[in-house]
Amino acid sequence: MSQIQITINGKLCHCEEGISILQAAMQNGIEIPNLCNDESVKVYGACGLCAVEVLDDGSGRPMPKLLRACSAKAMNGYVVRYDTERVNQSRKIALELLMSDHTGDCMAPCRLNCPAGTDCQGYVKKIAEGDYHGAVRLMKEKLPLPASIGRVCPHPCEQNCRRALVEQPLSIAFLKAFAADRDLESETYRAECLPDTGKRVAIIGGGPAGLTAAYFLRQKGHAVTIFDASAKMGGMLRYGIPAYRLPKTVLDREIEEIEAMGVSMQNRVRIGEQITLEQLRADYDAVIVAVGAWQSMAMRCEGESLSGVVGGIQFLHDISSGEKAAPDLQGKVVAVCGGGNTAMDACRTAVRCGADKVYVIYRRTREEMPADAVEIEEAAEEGVIYRYLTNPAEIIGENGAVRRIKLQVMELGEPDASGRRSPVPVEGKFELLDVDLVIMAIGQKPALAGFEALEQTRKGTIAADEATFLTNLPDVYAIGDATNRGADIAIAAIGEANRCAAVVDSALCGALKPYRAPFLSKREVTAEMLADREKIARCTMPTRPAEVRRRDFDEVNLGLTEAMAQAEAKRCLECGCHDYNECKLIRYANMQPIDPYRLAGQKNIHEKERKLGSIERDPGKCILCGLCVRVCEEDAKQGILGLVGRGFTTAIKPEFQDDAVIAGCKDCAKCVKVCPTGALKLLG
Amino acid sequence: MSIRIAVGQGSCGIAAGAGKVYDALFAALQGSEVSLGVVGCIGMCWLEPIVDLYRDHTLQMRLVQVKPEDAERIAKACCHGDLSALNDLAISEEDAAFLTKQTRIALRNCGLIDPNSLESAVEAGGYSALRKVLAKQDGMTPEEVIACIKESGLAGRGGAGFPTWFKWNAARQSAGEEKYLICNADEGDPGAFMDRAVIESDPHTLIEGMLIAAYAIGAKEALVYVRAEYPLAIKRLHAALAQAKEAGYVGRHILGSDFSCEFRVKAGAGAFVCGEETALIESLEGNRGMPRLKPPFPAAAGYWHQPSNINNVETFANVSWIIDHGGAAFAAMGTPDSKGTKVFALTGKIRRGGLVEIPMGKTLRDVIFDIGGGIRDGKDFKAVQMGGPSGGCIPASLLDTIIDYKALGATGAIMGSGGMVVMDETTCMVSMAKFFLDFTAEESCGKCVHCRIGTKRMQEILTRITEGKGRKGDVELLEELCNAIKDGALCGLGQTAPNPVLTTIRYFRDEFTAHIEEQRCPAGSCTALRRYTIDPANCKGCTLCAKKCPVNAISGSVKAPHRIDLDVCIRCGQCMAACKFHAIQVG
Amino acid sequence: MNCECVKQKSDLSLLCPVLEEYAAVPGSLITILQQAQEIYGYLPMDVIYHIAAETGSTPAKVLGVATFYTQFRFQPVGKYLIMLCNGTACHVNGSERIAQTIQEYLQVENGATTADGLFSFSIVACLGCCSLSPVMMINEETYGNLTPDSVKMILQEIQKKEAAQ
Repeated sequence: MSQIQITINGKLCHCEEGISILQAAMQNGIEIPNLCNDESVKVYGACGLCAVEVLDDGSGRPMPKLLRACSAKAMNGYVVRYDTERVNQSRKIALELLMSDHTGDCMAPCRLNCPAGTDCQGYVKKIAEGDYHGAVRLMKEKLPLPASIGRVCPHPCEQNCRRALVEQPLSIAFLKAFAADRDLESETYRAECLPDTGKRVAIIGGGPAGLTAAYFLRQKGHAVTIFDASAKMGGMLRYGIPAYRLPKTVLDREIEEIEAMGVSMQNRVRIGEQITLEQLRADYDAVIVAVGAWQSMAMRCEGESLSGVVGGIQFLHDISSGEKAAPDLQGKVVAVCGGGNTAMDACRTAVRCGADKVYVIYRRTREEMPADAVEIEEAAEEGVIYRYLTNPAEIIGENGAVRRIKLQVMELGEPDASGRRSPVPVEGKFELLDVDLVIMAIGQKPALAGFEALEQTRKGTIAADEATFLTNLPDVYAIGDATNRGADIAIAAIGEANRCAAVVDSALCGALKPYRAPFLSKREVTAEMLADREKIARCTMPTRPAEVRRRDFDEVNLGLTEAMAQAEAKRCLECGCHDYNECKLIRYANMQPIDPYRLAGQKNIHEKERKLGSIERDPGKCILCGLCVRVCEEDAKQGILGLVGRGFTTAIKPEFQDDAVIAGCKDCAKCVKVCPTGALKLLG
Repeated sequence: MSIRIAVGQGSCGIAAGAGKVYDALFAALQGSEVSLGVVGCIGMCWLEPIVDLYRDHTLQMRLVQVKPEDAERIAKACCHGDLSALNDLAISEEDAAFLTKQTRIALRNCGLIDPNSLESAVEAGGYSALRKVLAKQDGMTPEEVIACIKESGLAGRGGAGFPTWFKWNAARQSAGEEKYLICNADEGDPGAFMDRAVIESDPHTLIEGMLIAAYAIGAKEALVYVRAEYPLAIKRLHAALAQAKEAGYVGRHILGSDFSCEFRVKAGAGAFVCGEETALIESLEGNRGMPRLKPPFPAAAGYWHQPSNINNVETFANVSWIIDHGGAAFAAMGTPDSKGTKVFALTGKIRRGGLVEIPMGKTLRDVIFDIGGGIRDGKDFKAVQMGGPSGGCIPASLLDTIIDYKALGATGAIMGSGGMVVMDETTCMVSMAKFFLDFTAEESCGKCVHCRIGTKRMQEILTRITEGKGRKGDVELLEELCNAIKDGALCGLGQTAPNPVLTTIRYFRDEFTAHIEEQRCPAGSCTALRRYTIDPANCKGCTLCAKKCPVNAISGSVKAPHRIDLDVCIRCGQCMAACKFHAIQVG
Repeated sequence: MNCECVKQKSDLSLLCPVLEEYAAVPGSLITILQQAQEIYGYLPMDVIYHIAAETGSTPAKVLGVATFYTQFRFQPVGKYLIMLCNGTACHVNGSERIAQTIQEYLQVENGATTADGLFSFSIVACLGCCSLSPVMMINEETYGNLTPDSVKMILQEIQKKEAAQ
């Protein structure tokens, strides 16, 4: 055979005459996307993903038609590209069409709903297997503070857990804390860092966002310094969340781990005081602003400036920082205004400071309360009194100090834009409460002194691009509670930090690559579809009795035992596709932006089936590449699988109902191996 | 010399009652000397059943739209030899011009000879070309045959218009033990029926053309792949092959030469995609008719991976004429780009529908208005659909386009196999596009992504537009899909499936816009968009419409104008049909 | 398809002559299936299995071929098979209304058989009788230039004939 040369995407390739363009590419280490091709079977040409454009057929002329690289022979002198606009468009439509009839569960719903995209299903499985370090390794691909977050996260993952369709969702957050605690005890997992790049990044703010950004940028080999105004790193995790929920020793350990990777941490540095943003910009290749939202919002009622009226964050910060002595609230009556988690933290902290009576003033009802249900319950157990459907109208003082609070009685009206019924004042109906301390916990906003150069939103937050995280200043990025929509839960800031780190890394490496949400195939699952599952109750976190715990700041939760954790982890339905990481389809689908929803139409509906020995088929994921059919016939010489019907409803059927034919399957699993998606699965 | 009666008996003629007419004539002629015979289809379908009266091989009179009850007096007139008694049944001059304006080569014997009789075919010149080719002295070498076909400029009549000699030559040049000659008689384009007519009316011309082709490429076996929907064609082809074999035209040492060729007829089983040559080969091999990747082309590796040549019926029907008359005679007709004649199946809202064979280079207007007589029922011409699911709709403004592969291609339609479906003002072009996508989506083999899912999605988008649920941007989305499918589909079926949509968008975009933005069907054809209203001025309050309405959408008291509740109305139109006072309007 | 199909007991001996002639001839699967359908009126599942076994093929392959082509049926058909042409010319000339009429008159869906087993209804690709459009075939007989009224009359006549027997 004589040698020829062809140029593929600008790379000169040598190959033997007679082979296909696709083979020539593979032999030269170039991957032209393809789904229906495999060396073990004959060329088929169904998927159309391997389309290439021949810009020069060797004689200086382009070819008018796109070629399928799998079948077109490589000819001497060909200049071929698989990334021209025409090819990209052809591949894009092919992928959109495929995805419009693909029902995969690329990612489990828990993971989909996690703002940081943590692989819940993955680490829960590791926990079930007893591999806690392995679990933490998975967690730390997205989240460097699992022991802390596992304790405090309001766990959106659990909201989406399909186990709820059977009985109750998995206790994912506590499982995370359990495994992370085990990992911290010994042989703590620590991610490797790439060799130093010589690039320097300054991160302003050592809260969850700043720590996370530092963690991922350090892994990429960049020199990272975190500047924080407080005495210690941790931000809201340290100063906003009381110790009874997150013991500071746990947080310290996780921060130590980040520091040990070589992240430099500088505390008591406030921008505009010890250093300016301009200086940092001059000294570093990139600056990430992650300063959080530390200023409690005002309630806009009379009497707010009286002594004895404090912001919730301020109240919590003062106690956690130890900078001021914890106030002695013995014999005092405290009113906490607000219904979020900060309000819960404030009221429960007030209880622990010895307050006589603690009220929570909330203008809607328990139903609408945004705080965690567990928090609301535990606070009640600890003696907190809820005053639903009331709103502070006026804080009445005596000699400049708080004496009473006047509450406007509310009722629920029509649902507002958020879907929650909005509270309306009942005209002329008020109540009076005698109080000594009023804590405002109705929201926070960032304090942006020192950041005047950054453009702000109308909400008074830093305006940052959603895809690049860039502010109006070049090389200055901003993330977390200080930006755009304002304060959110910690895991949201962590997710943003992770994505921002990737963007900053790409910029430091020469070409900024904006974040693009991956395309994922999703499946709707109903309770009926899970009706056959055995009902197993969700584990309950053991806690210290309310009477005891309300007197100190020790952790309320006692932690799961290993037996509890493993049993709980085994409840997982393993919704996400087993093949997600190997799936060629999803990998190609994310090589370029696609929007299959614009082509949404009828989908072929198939049930999972287990008719062939040890192989499970999920026809919803099948893309009819025909590889299983062909490998069964051509390679395994079985002919067990076949295409049935034609057109849109064509399907691959294993042997119908006949046991004798099913028995013909030799379980060689060659079909499983060639399947480019997760449609075929070898059972354990 | 007595009269000979010939009843046209193609499928269409039989459906129109030709069989019953034949039976009635047979009964009426009992004991008379007048002979009664059968001929194939003359292609004047709107006049069926047709009865031809011959004396000495000369057509004396052509009777049209004959009913069985006419048999007695036809028999009587023929027995007495006084045909003037039948003047009222005779074809009009205007109708007769339908034939005289044509130039028939492929159809030269259709409707004139008895398809069941070899003698009849031979009398009309059948097998003379084969004799010429295989003659011991001054016969033709395969190369000479190919050269003659090359000179004629004959191109494949199945749709693509590829030069016939080139394919023959490629198959001839290919190295291979066995070679196969295949006739594609899987006439799948809805609206085309010339291949059926040829097989039903003149099977020996097809067989002769195939034999010459087999000789040219060096094939010893010939296969005919016929649609199962054509039972009469299959029956007559089998019979003709048996006769030809008996007479030594088919089989071993044909006409005493060294050339041997056996025939097989395979019935297709219902799959449009099998008109694509590689899918047809898969089907011949007993597999699912899914197209193969090209290359290799069938000329190199076709049936059983041996060199094979595939042409359609009409192409073969021209071959013996070309050999008889010489390539130059054929090439003298037509345009520089397209030689010879082409057969069209003229149907739809046309006054005179049937088979029309004309030289290339005539205009669409010639065919539709001059020969076809224009639109029936006094309506306006809107468009003509050419090339079936792979073709497109050509608007009135392009009626002067000449019939030529290039010129038709430039309109966005194609010559195709020759279906010409004429549409008038009441035809909705969006609905036409949907009709073709319904077809291709149904006929997609399911192999490649672009066609399997792409045509389905296009069909869904078109469906929602015809239902008044179209979205802004749907036309652009359709265009994007069309272009991607043209580029990405594996075979001709998929690559050309977007054509009907692209041409309707190109020429009738405003109709799409009216459906999407105004929920209005300008042709008044899309059921979901119809609005039935009662004109109070005409309504007499007879209550008949209300009684007919299956969903009680019509209310009103006796002798007072009624009204239709459009929210309840299911647009069945029964009220309109029932109203005796033309009070119900549709818009 | 359900399990019952496989348990069917068709008289497989009827197929012997066909298999004798074609089983060993390569590429004859479609011909065998066509003849099997001639014999049984449709393709029972046990017949498909039998053909697979006798031709050295697999059921997957045979069913794959059979389900690819519209000619093959997997349910018994009625005594009269109505095939309504849905070619372009028929479409343009109103075959949709004819389909509606048949469906309403016989209370039968496309691809199904009436409860009395008398009629099966199927909308098919172009029958090639375009100049008579709209067209339908009932068994071997072709009917052209249909109108809703003429279709009803044709069906009524068949029903009358059947009732008389």
